[in-house]
Amino acid sequence: MEPLTGMGVLALMGAAATIAGASEDLESDVGSQSNPNSQVQLAPQMMYPHRIYNKAISGEPPSNALICAIGGTVATVLMVTGAAAILALIVGSFVAMLVHGTYSVTPYIGRSASQKRFKQPIYLDIIRSHTPVIMGFAFITTFCILVISYLMISALGHPFPLPLLAFIWGIAIGAIGSSTGDVHYGAEREFQNFEFGSGLNAANSGNIVRKAESGIRNGIDNSWFCAKFGGPATGLAFGMVVFLSGWITVVFDPSISDTLGWEAIIAGVVIVLILIAFNRKIEVDARKRYGPYKVDDEEVGA
Amino acid sequence: MIDIVGILADNILTIVLITLGGILISLGVHFVPVGGAPAAMAQATGVGTGTVQLAAGAGLTGLVTAGFMMNVTDNMGLIIASGTIGAMIMISVTMLVGQMMYVYGVGCPPASAKVKYDPITKDRQDLYVSQGTEGHGVPTASYISGIIGGGLGGLGGSMIYYALLSIDNGLPEAKFIGIASIFAVGLFFVNAVIPSYNIGGTIEGFHDPKFKRFPNAVLASFIATFLAAIMGVVAIGGM
Repeated sequence: MEPLTGMGVLALMGAAATIAGASEDLESDVGSQSNPNSQVQLAPQMMYPHRIYNKAISGEPPSNALICAIGGTVATVLMVTGAAAILALIVGSFVAMLVHGTYSVTPYIGRSASQKRFKQPIYLDIIRSHTPVIMGFAFITTFCILVISYLMISALGHPFPLPLLAFIWGIAIGAIGSSTGDVHYGAEREFQNFEFGSGLNAANSGNIVRKAESGIRNGIDNSWFCAKFGGPATGLAFGMVVFLSGWITVVFDPSISDTLGWEAIIAGVVIVLILIAFNRKIEVDARKRYGPYKVDDEEVGA
Repeated sequence: MIDIVGILADNILTIVLITLGGILISLGVHFVPVGGAPAAMAQATGVGTGTVQLAAGAGLTGLVTAGFMMNVTDNMGLIIASGTIGAMIMISVTMLVGQMMYVYGVGCPPASAKVKYDPITKDRQDLYVSQGTEGHGVPTASYISGIIGGGLGGLGGSMIYYALLSIDNGLPEAKFIGIASIFAVGLFFVNAVIPSYNIGGTIEGFHDPKFKRFPNAVLASFIATFLAAIMGVVAIGGM
């Protein structure tokens, strides 16, 4: 393939991945999924009933892998029957969105009902207002993942079938969203009532913020806050993964010669080394800027 | 009638490679610094997600790059190296952006609660652990450990995929690739789950005391992958 065409396709994939990452994280913030949801689940038991959507379908990677694989399967079946690719991808994402909507409502009702003894109500208006938002984000995520997978197969000649590639990217985007954006929701947004600049003291577990900027806080308020940092950062991470892992083989095309293939590997190693240096710089800056929490007893004693 | 003995005899090297790949994945998962749910609240050092999730995310990204490389070259070294590097890129980007979250979003410096000094940078750790937590963020030792772990996962996954594609059978190429890749993904999950019994939710990397338990998981992975490899070779070779 022409290197310029390859770069164009890769840029499109990177853009789709960035959008997918952001929408995946915001979807998990509206519905409260994955690890931070442990606190939402715990809150009523600590006598803090709340109006936050409580959706833990599963860990984010399996849940996103499921919707992406459903979307990919439906799209593949439609394409085999002769449908245009863009139509097939949209219909596939739509079906995945419906499945995700079903899976979102059942855990909210089930989990809230199981907490009746802690006086946690089931808010029907929360189901009505949040579920369409969750479904909308799920549609965007699935569609972008399907676009990435389809481009990899049709333009870059990847040998994996579409549903499997969508499944793998679904696992990857869930792992990234759960590792990056969720920290902003779990460690900061849920506990804004404690002083900024430290991890959550285990003694404060379950004491989540229940009042919003106006009124009582719900999942949409959380996504509003996380859209300022957690969501875009997740998009950045997934975009970088898709772009960088493809970039090395598009620039140093191994189909021309094995030497170029080894150059691609070397380019990958250089990228990893740069990321290690970047991480170290952030660590040193943070330690210098924030300082230690405790005084060194040995120095004080001396 | 499928000649089971004949297929196994022809594919002994394939079974060995698949088993080795499974062991590498199992070992690699121990290196990945995961803090589970506590890390998502900046209550434990490591990345705020589950063991299996992060290891699978990285290793499968490696499988995607290895699959692409295998389409254009037959060089085994190149295919396995591309799987390794793909996984390393995924995990290093994820940990870097996760680190940004802890530092700029939560406002706490990376710190380990398991060791007093970072084994690589020699930085003091205990003073930087905030009250009531088991550390937070990804210190350099955990970061490097994570990259090694992701790399081993990608290496093992791509080795399994390469070995499966060397089995002789009568399938058309597209179906063969589909079955081999699904089997590789399945074996990846088997070997990512086994170490999580050792890890029990959180591990900081190679400097964590839990890391010393890895021989048990490697032995369990050896047995599980060996049996799965025999089943896989017979199933794919008999088609």
